[in-house]
Amino acid sequence: MFTNDSSSGLQQTTSYKVVLPFYIFAALSFIISCTLLLLNTDIIHQHYFHPQTLAITHLMALGWGTMIILGASHQLLPVLIEGKLDSYLLALLSFVFAATGIPLLVTGFYLFNTGLILQTGAVLINASVICYFLNVIASISESKKHNVHAFFIAAASLWLFATTFFGLLLVFNFSRSWLPENSIEYLSVHAHMGLVGWFLLLIIGVGSRLIPMFLISKYSNPKILWWIFALINIALFGFIILKTSNAFEKLYYSPFLLVLFALALFANYCYRAYKERIRKHVDEQMKISLLSVAMLILPLLSLMAVIYFIRENSGSKLVLLYGYCIFFGWITAIIMGMTFKTLPFIVWTKVYHSRVLGKTPAPKELFSENLFKIMALFYLTGFILFLAGILLLNDLLLKSGAALLLASAIVYVINVAKTVFHQAKV
Amino acid sequence: MAVLSNNDLFCSAALAGLYDVFDPEIGLNVVDLGLIYRIDFNEETKKIIVTMTLTTQFCPMGESITADVQQSVSDAFKDYQVSIDLVFNPAWSPEQISPEGQEFLDR
Repeated sequence: MFTNDSSSGLQQTTSYKVVLPFYIFAALSFIISCTLLLLNTDIIHQHYFHPQTLAITHLMALGWGTMIILGASHQLLPVLIEGKLDSYLLALLSFVFAATGIPLLVTGFYLFNTGLILQTGAVLINASVICYFLNVIASISESKKHNVHAFFIAAASLWLFATTFFGLLLVFNFSRSWLPENSIEYLSVHAHMGLVGWFLLLIIGVGSRLIPMFLISKYSNPKILWWIFALINIALFGFIILKTSNAFEKLYYSPFLLVLFALALFANYCYRAYKERIRKHVDEQMKISLLSVAMLILPLLSLMAVIYFIRENSGSKLVLLYGYCIFFGWITAIIMGMTFKTLPFIVWTKVYHSRVLGKTPAPKELFSENLFKIMALFYLTGFILFLAGILLLNDLLLKSGAALLLASAIVYVINVAKTVFHQAKV
Repeated sequence: MAVLSNNDLFCSAALAGLYDVFDPEIGLNVVDLGLIYRIDFNEETKKIIVTMTLTTQFCPMGESITADVQQSVSDAFKDYQVSIDLVFNPAWSPEQISPEGQEFLDR
């Protein structure tokens, strides 16, 4: 009746030593990004191709979003692919290359030094991504089951490599014209490979597994997830073809509509998981993670406006609004929520895994719930104020919004430190 | 889901202790959560085998939960050697939560 087949037995989870450095680097990147945003609120009045805007965008995309996702995915890969992480060495190398490459790249952009600093940073980031990609592919190959989540993570890591490799070409294109056109002409392709191919695919792939798991929900629908997977990839390929063939602007609505449909399916998936949950109480971390799904409507509205006003002067402001809603809205909200769902598990395993029948605290007791609520309040207020500042071009709103976002980053870092430095209590 | 056993009396004694072993994330004990499938006692060899599962095979707390189960049963039967048979077939599903466990999760 109860069988101990070849796939049973306890699978070792990824060591905390592999994962924690990514979380710590990401937390520091977030606080630096918010500080830079506060110091440079005037960039909102400039074109988006501006040194400080590029620096903040890349620090948010790579230092904050990508680093924490890389860390979390090393931890969650066994859960997603139902196998084990292939190489700790590749994971460590991935961290070392990224942790040295990202500061160089961001400094290069900030100072607009398009020479050695920027180029070395870009090369190191590519080395990091190659290590990660090889590790993901090797882990999936060795896994006995290949579920839809594994395809999401494999495709996302391939798109990440495409993004950073294209980014590398753009960096070298600043000093030697390797590409037919100026680097600025390719920015939207580079950005969307990263935003849609990497962030969106990975967050949906991981979220569709974790959201039902943390809600203890009975809901699962791999068929819908396959549809979402196909729609997003087709939309992204379609966008790249349209962009590189200089197609008529309004045609950009077609990949946009495909992504919109995919997101509607994902939102419905999350809603069904929520409705069919076994545990009625939903904690604050899950609430902010679910809110991030709803927050996707903001960048979508901005993007719709960008396409509509593509030839108008207001286009640049809308692009900034779009980028802001993605990095400081959707990505930040989901990371804030998921950090305090995943990090306590990692630290708990480190501190308590060898203890037997002691009065061990629950993982949620490793961080402060009150600090989380304060952080969420600062974050949501700051996000809305800064958003209003962009729309109204009002410096007071921009400064106060950025100050609140920085305050939320400080509280976030304090809470992360409280979790990471947790000592055993018995 | 009822826990199967070849000795109901001994099984009740083992379960009494296991009601104090919790899944740290869910906050529910392993018995009401439906993780314990079977407890077999061999009075001749003084061996106990606890057949159990986890909510997921890749549960980061799996090692800790199984160690706690082993320790709890060992504490109740000091002369016995306790081993854990961790199985994932049948896999755990929310339907295995007891009515008492469901009541706790409804709060």
